[in-house]
Amino acid sequence: MTDRTKDPGMFVPEPDDDRIICRCEEITKGEIRRAVHAGMFTLTEIRRFLRTGMGLCQGQTCGGMVRQIVAKELQVPPDTLEPATARAPMRPVEMWVLAREGGEEDA
Amino acid sequence: MKRYDVIVIGAGPAGLSAAVQAAEQGMSVIVFDENEKPGGQLFKQIHKFFGSKEHKAKVRGFRIGQQLLEEAGRAGVEVKLNAVVTGLYMEKEVVVKIGGAMEHFKGDSVIVATGAAEKMVHFEGWTLPGVIGAGAAQTMMNLHGIRPGRKVLMLGTGNVGLVVSYQLLQAGCEVTALADAAPTVGGYGVHAAKVARTGVPFYLSHTIVKAEGTDHVTGVTIARVDENFAFVPGTEKHFDVDTICLAVGLSPMAQLLKMAGCVMDERAGHDGTTPLCDENGATSVPGIYAVGDVSGIEEASSAMIEGRIAGLAAAAYLGFMDEKKCREAISCQKKALMSLRRGMFAPQNKGRKLMTTEEGIPLSEHLLKEGYVGDEEIGRFPGVRRSVGIHPVMECTQNIPCNPCQDACPHHCIRVGDDITALPQVDDTKKCVGCGLCVASCSGQAVFLLEENYAPGFAAVTIPYEFLPLPEKGEKGTGLGRRGEPLCEAEVVQVKTSGAFDKTNLVTLKIPGDMAMRVRFYRKEV
Repeated sequence: MTDRTKDPGMFVPEPDDDRIICRCEEITKGEIRRAVHAGMFTLTEIRRFLRTGMGLCQGQTCGGMVRQIVAKELQVPPDTLEPATARAPMRPVEMWVLAREGGEEDA
Repeated sequence: MKRYDVIVIGAGPAGLSAAVQAAEQGMSVIVFDENEKPGGQLFKQIHKFFGSKEHKAKVRGFRIGQQLLEEAGRAGVEVKLNAVVTGLYMEKEVVVKIGGAMEHFKGDSVIVATGAAEKMVHFEGWTLPGVIGAGAAQTMMNLHGIRPGRKVLMLGTGNVGLVVSYQLLQAGCEVTALADAAPTVGGYGVHAAKVARTGVPFYLSHTIVKAEGTDHVTGVTIARVDENFAFVPGTEKHFDVDTICLAVGLSPMAQLLKMAGCVMDERAGHDGTTPLCDENGATSVPGIYAVGDVSGIEEASSAMIEGRIAGLAAAAYLGFMDEKKCREAISCQKKALMSLRRGMFAPQNKGRKLMTTEEGIPLSEHLLKEGYVGDEEIGRFPGVRRSVGIHPVMECTQNIPCNPCQDACPHHCIRVGDDITALPQVDDTKKCVGCGLCVASCSGQAVFLLEENYAPGFAAVTIPYEFLPLPEKGEKGTGLGRRGEPLCEAEVVQVKTSGAFDKTNLVTLKIPGDMAMRVRFYRKEV
């Protein structure tokens, strides 16, 4: 379980905070670290807050790196962080394809 | 909603094998794959596989893919390509995007074989064009015929990093260096050795500081790291490269299983999240199986067996096969699987630092730290011997489950024995005729033929050669040592190609007698 009482301390800027980690949504390392200090302790929270891993590649590229950054900030081993929820669509699907599901041709 | 006995997700080695096995039991099977071509990673693998005959050893990966597709066709497996599975819901409902439509299928069992994705690491400039995954480089070269760059730095010395480095060289790229943050080479020594002997340097305990360039990669800086993986100041090295390949591991694509409610395993040591499975690949959800890399990163050979086992288990689960027959068939497959999961690189040895071979021979330190076996180390391995007349020299120094050399020799000169991971030995009582079949059969390109008394003062060494253009008989170039260092003039006295060699050409070099145990590669320029 996530320890809600954990105090990650003050946010200390690092020289590579402007490095992009989630390429699809253009989220930087600094933004992820700041989010932890703003109280986002789980990968799901980070994801909802910043949209990391919610772009075209669905976290295929940044998933592991975001986990490392969050774990380091919280000073916990990376594998103790619960992974973000897995939910459909697993791959990007155009809205018009989903919209056609009802059966109407020009929906 | 269409209904199938088995829905397989992923048409790679594991998925196709599962599908074939299930179809052979009379089940209706459909395989979905999001790619336009089936085979998963197999069609990118142009190197010869390790293993034994049953594991299709010494067959190149893409040919195994072709065989598997033919088998699937014969078994009546329906393979649906460009079919993107977007969700795995309750009661094994599978939603697939096919063309412009979302289609729904129901599987009485589902075998998930979605494979893995490449891991990434970040450093300054990692988003520059020119920083690519090693798998991407392989796709460009081996599927599309595109050279990914001219000068490449490879990060990672696992088998992927080593194999792709070699393939980059084959494609005509210059591999400037291999770097790895780990202190020792992660992949098979033989894969490292065939890269090192072309002259590519290995930098262990080194990683990337930054990729240089404004709109694309123009260079890279690496530096040494200490035991805590922190950079050691003053150890920076710069290379002019236009491509940086990352081969830093794979992580299973297990999201569908998690979505389906399978209990997942997050233990440290696993390469990412994997489902908890029983020994047949059954997850915690009855009727859902996970096979291949998605259930834990391994090689294609074991993925194919895992697929077959899950196919059998699914057949028994749905009553297409009686329990007893199924158990017998599975135990047969398991024997094959166990023989692959042996030796130094077996899953149970992951992370363990071994000092000696199973025979008790100290491992080559140079091989682990620099990618080649040192001249002073090579003599202690059982396949390396000196004798009168032509004879094989097997520079096989690590226990890996592989034995094609034993079957290759028509005169039974080479012995691995029943223990498939044992180092090969040469039987002195049998006469080598210099046919070279052993040289071509070694997936690790670690077998050479040596004739020390070829001519007065000269020896002849026959090396496996998989580069184009082939050297021509009569031409003179440079004989290179195990770390690619130029040693002496070498004259090409014979070039042998044959269908039986399967594109491993045999190049025989005439070299000074004292270089017989040292020259292991050839370069045309003097």
